[in-house]
Amino acid sequence: MTARRFPSSVYGVGSEPDARFTLANERTFLAWIRTALALLAGGVALEALGLGLEPHLRLAASLVLIVAGVATPVQAWFGWAQAERALRLGRPLPSARLALPIGVAVVVAGVLVLLAVVLA
Amino acid sequence: MPSGDPAHLGRDAARVGCGGHGRGGAQVGCGVSEGGAGRVDRSARPFDPGLQPERTALAWRRTALALLVGSLVGLRVLPLLLGDGGVTYAVAGLGVAASVAVLVGAHRRYRRVHRLLTSGASDRAPIGGGLLPAAVALLTFAAGVAALALALGGAVGAGRG
Repeated sequence: MTARRFPSSVYGVGSEPDARFTLANERTFLAWIRTALALLAGGVALEALGLGLEPHLRLAASLVLIVAGVATPVQAWFGWAQAERALRLGRPLPSARLALPIGVAVVVAGVLVLLAVVLA
Repeated sequence: MPSGDPAHLGRDAARVGCGGHGRGGAQVGCGVSEGGAGRVDRSARPFDPGLQPERTALAWRRTALALLVGSLVGLRVLPLLLGDGGVTYAVAGLGVAASVAVLVGAHRRYRRVHRLLTSGASDRAPIGGGLLPAAVALLTFAAGVAALALALGGAVGAGRG
């Protein structure tokens, strides 16, 4: 007898996919989580390390990175759940909806840091 | 290490030598159809020559390591924002405990995956489950909210102007 898995919105539908797809989906989730941790670490470090940068731009960059870091685990979880559901139903996989905003945020943070360095 | 340890399985993978293991096809795991392939203990053989369960276990370990390193760095960095108080140690301690919990959870997850996939005749076993991922995602989200509060609080407290 198989234990019921959480969440039922994923495991209550469809049938078991090839285990390799499930495992690949899991690794994708973990990659997003590590991305989130890196973004948060970068954002906190910018503010905490007392770097000699222009303070307003530095704070802005820090906040952009941290906000991106807050959004990323959202993408991680919902991306995993939606992909697992799609695998079970044999449907096309969803795209990573927050990937573009997160990517843009990283670019914006980089520009802000560059400016903060130049205007220090 | 007991059988099922990823490093241990690498040798068996090379020995079994499964060919034609195409992508996406509902093919049976190595060794099931080989009959007379030898006296290798099936539970010691990897389910997949691509070692996906093992790669997934390692991905969990990398994530736990990222959590651990982040917590320890936080131990150093947080006092600069929060002062030398108990909050820093509480947060860092929580992070360390979480990373250990992830390591333990991931190990159990891998053992279950390996057992289910090597014991069955199909590569469609009920593996996975969203509890551990949900916990990790929630923890990361909470860390993010805390970081946001830190950055904003520090900015206000410093009276930028």
